[in-house]
Amino acid sequence: MNRQWQKVLIAALLEVFWVMGLAHAYDVFTWAGTIVALLISNYLMITAAQVLPAGTVYSVFVGLGTAGTVIADILLFGEPFEWLKMLFILFILVGVVGLKLITDEKQEARNE
Amino acid sequence: MAWIALILAGLFESFGVAMMNQVQKTKNFFTIFLLISSFGTSFFLLGYALRFLPMGTAYAIWTGIGVVGGTIFGMIFYGESKDGIRIFLIGIILSSVIGLKLLS
Repeated sequence: MNRQWQKVLIAALLEVFWVMGLAHAYDVFTWAGTIVALLISNYLMITAAQVLPAGTVYSVFVGLGTAGTVIADILLFGEPFEWLKMLFILFILVGVVGLKLITDEKQEARNE
Repeated sequence: MAWIALILAGLFESFGVAMMNQVQKTKNFFTIFLLISSFGTSFFLLGYALRFLPMGTAYAIWTGIGVVGGTIFGMIFYGESKDGIRIFLIGIILSSVIGLKLLS
């Protein structure tokens, strides 16, 4: 796989970590880890988006981030699985990805 | 309170992204200050909301509001397209956020 896409995957994984940290950090070490994950995640994502189509990068990133936080919520923190809630979260994702991919198409059309 | 903080966090996020574009045009102390403080405020408010709301729900709403805010911002200030499809997608996001609020 392309090196830039590997950066997007690592950024998404770190994104899930810092979100978990913001929700559950309780001491200096967990807070420090949270902030480091946040900074590295954003750095990787921004540098990848300068090379790859930005809207597509953001779509993949947010898709993985959302899936990751939902799964971590259910598996690690005992959040109940509710169909309707999953459906609404999925619809938000559809809206976000749709808006971002439209932006990419527009930019490519402009570059041609 | 957690819901208000979450919506504000999303709005600060989209303002931060707008400032990121602005910094590329005019790099001065003021724009960089706005950039850092809006992202900082966004993460602080998201962190507050995450103490009360389920992670998956809060994260999805934060990104959703962030993107809606950024899109509307672009439509108003940068003359980006106001296509029916874009308005429709904004509508889907906002109604899903309301749906999640009603479920909670």
